[in-house]
Amino acid sequence: MGSLTRYLCRRLLAAVPLLVGATLIAFLLGVAAPGDPAREALGMSGVREPTEQELQAMREQLGLHRPLAVQYGLWLIKAAQGDLGVSYITKEPVAKELLRRLPHTLALAIGAVLIAAMTGIPLGIWMAARRNRWEDHLGRTVALLLVSVPGFWLAILFILLFSETWGLLPTSGFGGWRELLMPSAVLASGTGAVLMRLSRAAMLEVMNQNYMLTAKAKGLGELGVLIGHGLKNMLIPVVTVLGSSFGGIVGGAVIVEVIFAIPGIGRYAVEAIYRRDYPVIQGYVLFTSIVYVLFNLLVDLVYTWVQPQIRLGGAVR
Amino acid sequence: MLLNGWKKGWIAMLLAICITAAGCQPAKEAGPAALPEANQAEQPQEIVLAAPRDLAPGPKDAYYTSLILYVWEPLIAGGEDGEPAPKLAESWEMSEDGREWTFKLRDNVRFHDGEKLTADAVIANFARYRKVSPKSSPFYTLNIDTSYPGLQNIAKVDELTLRLSFKDPQPTLPYAMANFASPIYSPNSFDENGDFKGLPQGTGPFKLIEHQKDAFALLEANPDYYGPKAKTGKIRVRVIPDPDTRLAALKAGEIAGVMDLGALPPEQARELLKDERFGVSHTASTISHYLHPNGKEGPLRDVRLRRAVSLAIDREMIVRELYRGYPTATVNILNATSPFHKELKVSYDPAEAKRLAGEVLGDKRQPVRLIVPSYGIDRYPYKAQAELIQHQLKDIGLDVEIRILDGAAFKEAQAKGDYDLALATQGLPNAEPFTILNQYMASSGSANKNYSLGYSSERVDSLLKEAAGLLDVEERRRIYDELQDIAAAELPTIPLFNDASLIAYDKRIQGYKALLYGTSLPELEWAP
Repeated sequence: MGSLTRYLCRRLLAAVPLLVGATLIAFLLGVAAPGDPAREALGMSGVREPTEQELQAMREQLGLHRPLAVQYGLWLIKAAQGDLGVSYITKEPVAKELLRRLPHTLALAIGAVLIAAMTGIPLGIWMAARRNRWEDHLGRTVALLLVSVPGFWLAILFILLFSETWGLLPTSGFGGWRELLMPSAVLASGTGAVLMRLSRAAMLEVMNQNYMLTAKAKGLGELGVLIGHGLKNMLIPVVTVLGSSFGGIVGGAVIVEVIFAIPGIGRYAVEAIYRRDYPVIQGYVLFTSIVYVLFNLLVDLVYTWVQPQIRLGGAVR
Repeated sequence: MLLNGWKKGWIAMLLAICITAAGCQPAKEAGPAALPEANQAEQPQEIVLAAPRDLAPGPKDAYYTSLILYVWEPLIAGGEDGEPAPKLAESWEMSEDGREWTFKLRDNVRFHDGEKLTADAVIANFARYRKVSPKSSPFYTLNIDTSYPGLQNIAKVDELTLRLSFKDPQPTLPYAMANFASPIYSPNSFDENGDFKGLPQGTGPFKLIEHQKDAFALLEANPDYYGPKAKTGKIRVRVIPDPDTRLAALKAGEIAGVMDLGALPPEQARELLKDERFGVSHTASTISHYLHPNGKEGPLRDVRLRRAVSLAIDREMIVRELYRGYPTATVNILNATSPFHKELKVSYDPAEAKRLAGEVLGDKRQPVRLIVPSYGIDRYPYKAQAELIQHQLKDIGLDVEIRILDGAAFKEAQAKGDYDLALATQGLPNAEPFTILNQYMASSGSANKNYSLGYSSERVDSLLKEAAGLLDVEERRRIYDELQDIAAAELPTIPLFNDASLIAYDKRIQGYKALLYGTSLPELEWAP
């Protein structure tokens, strides 16, 4: 077994307790929150109130009469076999519904990461190159604004400008890149702004290194020095933020999915939380935990490409 | 470092361009999607509408689609006057003892899959009701035990006639059967569990031909419909949950109209009517807005304080200022669309309210917890409404603390009695008022229990028992009148107003108007 395979196996095995812990916490928070899933399942329409007998029958049907440890244990055993249970409310299998919605949220998240990386990193480098000039000040102000502005406000502004006023993009929905552009940009705004400032700081640090001075002394142009010698060396903190923010973007897509009418997993989870639909909440938490784990793993692998002196397992050559 | 003057000016100019562009540019010529070609010679094949929720929840739902998509039809419909109206059953007749009802089905009706509507098909649907009841749905719970209490037998009389037999007399059965209580689909639609095998095969003027959950439902006109055909070939109903996005989509020309509960908040209606490209249609709704008092514990146990609260609230002001005058103020527990509704005078009397509250509280001020459901805030101006009530109750010595809770926590607080007042909405379960009056006013009523209303009256219990056994509808009406009077006096709940159905549309379409339940979807077409 190669060192990479051993490393991957070790990391994936270490993730198992993390996933169990995350779903256990989600389960306990769910049952601790006030609300009765049986009441929600029977009273969806809000027109007719269920009787106590109907509620009791529904609790038994949903398995809510069992001790909490048994409820969680049964869910865990089934989840290990790939069965995430059935929604209390819609009666649809949770895994099937998550998989159906996954492409929507993934496309949104990947779009957001691409926009964040493709705008944040070049702008950060540019700001570093124009340090303390007006372009740098403008970039820092924009970054501060983007971090401070709430996503929903930016979404409303984008819809007002790009859809209502200029008619360039559709207000909502899911289909092609045109529908994805605005929600991805909204979702990318915070991460993009962080990347701008981080790339600027990292590049400024790199620019003071001796090898950069040597490259300049050899007569290379400013752009060539920044891209050829600076970029790869400043990427470690940037990749770290980018990787960890992907999980955050997936988890934070909820508001964007509601505003832009995208049937993704975030919207599914929020509706489940409102209705105390435990199997859906559990499935969502398990899924987002897996995304976090996988992307952190991916970040670690990217480290070895960016900085070959970093070895898998933590030691530095 | 401070920016130089010209740099500051440059940045300010950029910001100003963005802001003024949003405010000044006419949106009329813009709009990327379906509608802009409407005025051209060749109109788009389909009309796109939007709803806040998915009106086709899918194969595990009791109905697959809402009635308002016109895919399936009931045996008996609710007329615009609230009275039962023929639909798939063209006539019905009650036996002398009220225990048997005979229904004559409409002839020459075919389901979307080509099957003929027969007594056998209806019996198969009743077998499904029995198998799946109670079956949840975001619209109405399908429950044969509550819609057809004591149903003993369903017999085929002939190809188009069937007879229902009951243990006890059911003189108002057609009222209870209206709309969601008698949905009929092709018997081939169901699997062994009573869920739908594929898309629903109803008899309505539209077929559901495609559905993407939480995204859209695509309807196609049914060319074999027995009645007046739908005027538009295809209608796509998109799901746009956010009200601001729905409005933006309407203004941008992506959708031609909105539909369903809360599709158009009243403040948006006012804004939209400033633009002559759009129209608004409204009508009475089966939704009532109440203020539930906790009658089990706390100060609202005292009927005098409940009356004081009722008299201190200026309902007309709430309706006028927060709902732009579309709903109607009421003190009646029974929604105005019920054919058994009785007109009761709406009273606003702060002086009498103060006197009554003084009798209960003396000189003391009383803290009161008013809980508000977050789903109410999403659909209605409930936050402002709660604040207005908070202000109005201050004058009678009640210091209202507002708590906003998510739906599940709100229901739990009501069930446990962990509140004093609660803003709530109530749909009319069916045209037979017994259900709603029994839920709220009977000592053992489910709403009475689940909302901790703590209401109990021997007289009411005896009237309800009497009504249940009465054959004569006019006799029932007399009892329902008395129950409405009692409810207005003793206030098991404090009615505030009857809601209005409000929809908006682009004037490039015509024939689209709000109905008591839903819209005139089959009448919808491009304007010439």
